[in-house]
Amino acid sequence: MNCEVFQLNELEIEHFEIREVLRCILHTIIFHRALGLVRPKDVDLELFDITYVQCGEVEVEMKIEEKIEQFICWVEKHPNKKSQICLSFYEVKNKQASWFSNRIERLYWEQWYINLNVAQHLKSHSSKSHHSKVSDPREEGVLEDRNARSAALEVSLRNVLFQIIKFVNEKKDHVPPIPNLEGAISFPYEITIPSSSDSAFGMDIIKRMLQTGHPTMLS
Amino acid sequence: MMTSSPTHTEAAKTEQIITEFFAKSLHIILESRALSASSRNFSTLSSPSSTSSSSSSSVRPRDKWFNLALRECPTALENADLWRHNNLHPIVVDIVLVHRIMQLDLKVRNPFEEFGVGGSQSEKIVERWVIQYESRKTRDCSNSSSSSSSSTRRSSSTFLQNLYKKATLLIRSLYATVRILPAYKIFKELNSSANVCAFTLAHRVSTFFEPFTSKQESEMLKFVFTPVNTLFGRLCLSVMYCQCVSDVSSESSSTPLSPRVITDYVGSPMTERLMRFPSLPVVPVRLPLHGSPSSLPFSRRHSWSFENGRGSPPSVNYCSPSPTHSELNTLVSNASYQCYPPPSSLPHHPSEMALLHKKNVNFDDYYPSPNFSPSPSPSPSSPIYHLGSLASKTLLRSESAPVNIPNAEVANSPGHTSRHNLPPSTPIRISRCTSETDGSRNLMQLCTPAEKMCSLRKDESQKYSGVKIVPNSSPQISFSRSSSRSYQDDFDDTDFICPFDVDDDDTTDPGSRAESFDPGDMTQLLEAGRFLPIRKSQGAVVGALVNMLKKAAPLHQDFSSTCENISRPETQKSNKVQGPNQIPDTLSAPSIMCSGNRKTTSDALEEFRSYREMKNMLLKPRGGNSNQQI
Repeated sequence: MNCEVFQLNELEIEHFEIREVLRCILHTIIFHRALGLVRPKDVDLELFDITYVQCGEVEVEMKIEEKIEQFICWVEKHPNKKSQICLSFYEVKNKQASWFSNRIERLYWEQWYINLNVAQHLKSHSSKSHHSKVSDPREEGVLEDRNARSAALEVSLRNVLFQIIKFVNEKKDHVPPIPNLEGAISFPYEITIPSSSDSAFGMDIIKRMLQTGHPTMLS
Repeated sequence: MMTSSPTHTEAAKTEQIITEFFAKSLHIILESRALSASSRNFSTLSSPSSTSSSSSSSVRPRDKWFNLALRECPTALENADLWRHNNLHPIVVDIVLVHRIMQLDLKVRNPFEEFGVGGSQSEKIVERWVIQYESRKTRDCSNSSSSSSSSTRRSSSTFLQNLYKKATLLIRSLYATVRILPAYKIFKELNSSANVCAFTLAHRVSTFFEPFTSKQESEMLKFVFTPVNTLFGRLCLSVMYCQCVSDVSSESSSTPLSPRVITDYVGSPMTERLMRFPSLPVVPVRLPLHGSPSSLPFSRRHSWSFENGRGSPPSVNYCSPSPTHSELNTLVSNASYQCYPPPSSLPHHPSEMALLHKKNVNFDDYYPSPNFSPSPSPSPSSPIYHLGSLASKTLLRSESAPVNIPNAEVANSPGHTSRHNLPPSTPIRISRCTSETDGSRNLMQLCTPAEKMCSLRKDESQKYSGVKIVPNSSPQISFSRSSSRSYQDDFDDTDFICPFDVDDDDTTDPGSRAESFDPGDMTQLLEAGRFLPIRKSQGAVVGALVNMLKKAAPLHQDFSSTCENISRPETQKSNKVQGPNQIPDTLSAPSIMCSGNRKTTSDALEEFRSYREMKNMLLKPRGGNSNQQI
């Protein structure tokens, strides 16, 4: 089974936008891969005039929130770095136990790379929603810039969502058959964020390669 | 051709998947574009389930198709029923943005009545969805059966699985796409606001389409979903959409109900006068019960409602649609963002209260006003013209209430049950695509529920009040509101003719006010259709007396004849009988009235006192027909 890798367009975001942007992208991807019975849930973003769809599973939402938290922590420790979040889908295969790996093997069949460039210089505005922007009118120009930037980001984010939809549409053959499972989530998935240090992130990948035994999948 | 039965089954299964794909796609598109359908039925039928996770609610057979549980959407279902058709015909869904030039007249109340007639509106196709099955026809069919049938058969089950999987993925994409496209913004805005005017979204479903002009086409973008191949053809889905509709949507959001208008309405002297009336302030009782976000803008009215409605927490309301809610949301959004706990049923992130309203938009029950403006409730009809500039507001506010209960019933009414009879997966049917494809017909479909409501309201209001009101007091509210409003508004015209009893009113009224909350009274009022033709209840009789005083210019000679018009003969008769017998030191009512010409204010006060005593007399005996017994 080959592993499809999708690289999503890089988004230039500010710290306070991380949460919404990631939610929107991660949920949209997972919705397209939740092939069990789904009761979709529409969610409006606060910062942008965008509605995205969640698959309505509480566990998914919790997992995503948790990962976003971790990512935000990482970003705070590593300012001004481009970062990549990877959402991978895999199948689980039982495998003969060997001396260095688990019995369970993960066969990755799809990976989505979300590319973010988090700008730090405007961090003072973080945690404020766009409603409060007006309350801090240091300069007219700054405000206009911010609005223009925000509008541009909205367009980019929308494009990323379209990108996801296009990928989903173009590549369907690699998706494993829908298992007969209860619940919406039909395939296991994992969200990988850069770990606390880059070397550890690298280690993570090596570990995973060792585990799966399919290094080619990681492109 | 397809002689062997396995191949035949596969073909049939493929056809079935295609048919269901058509239906599901149509459902998804209309659910997120048809103003009336999605919000209304979301609220009435599936609000508890649609926001919860899959485990907690039952699964309807239709949901299982492509593993996607959708909200109820009668518009889609009606159309799906119509369009469960020959799969070889495409389904074309045009989403049309209609811009109407508003006039404050009857048309306001029924925008669809005039649809397609006058030149006072402009239409623009903002989206065109084409769902199509391109068959490879006989050549390929014969191919598939003739070429090594064993291998074909072996792979065909996996092929079917594959087809189903891909169709499921395509449906998922469609679901996400309809929400990203610009038209969804319009839908959301129109759905969330109380806009009656300016813009509305309509849709046309047909099997053919007029090609766009090159100019139109140049304005539109096309998104083609990757087709899904089947054994005998391929399943195609594409959309052409207008990129530049944001200006329209912003215009629509700003036009209709400005916050100032509402504030005026609530705080105006007129409102204060309305406040005195028992039946009116009960209306907002429903608000806290719905967990609806805001009551502050109406603090005065709400303080009433809290007091009065405390006793009976109705459960029925939770499943009934909430026009008041939608009305409120609009107001909240317009006036200010209030931090209120979100409705329990809605999945909000707790930290995001400030944007409650925005979030509500999607999950909540909204009555898109354009579709309910045709509300046939009798209440707004006459008073609305007296109110002049307030007309539109009154219209908005009063019309929504009566819709409430009948609508809940409409869902179960025979007219609507037909869709429940649809088998979850219907075998292929014979084409029914005929001349019913034109736009006006579809628009008529939009109107239909309202018309049903009309009849329901006229014919069965009494039934509803009987059945639903007695156990808890809240449903009556909407009725009492509508019935009282016309009375109120009539009354407003004559209010200042006799200012002296305006003051007394507050002191004398409490008794009658308390009485009026009796559910029985409300049903009687309902039955009467208006406040004035009083029949049985004492509260109502007192109300009529007060009304008489209000209406009366006591210094006018022909007052008694006015009274004749207002009150029923029994009441008058009983007054005549009671007057001399029970209140010996005052004159009987008619004589007072007729000698009014030379009276001074103090006389009039005395006269009023006598009425008060009379009222007390009326209130003393228990039982509905005590008037007649005395």
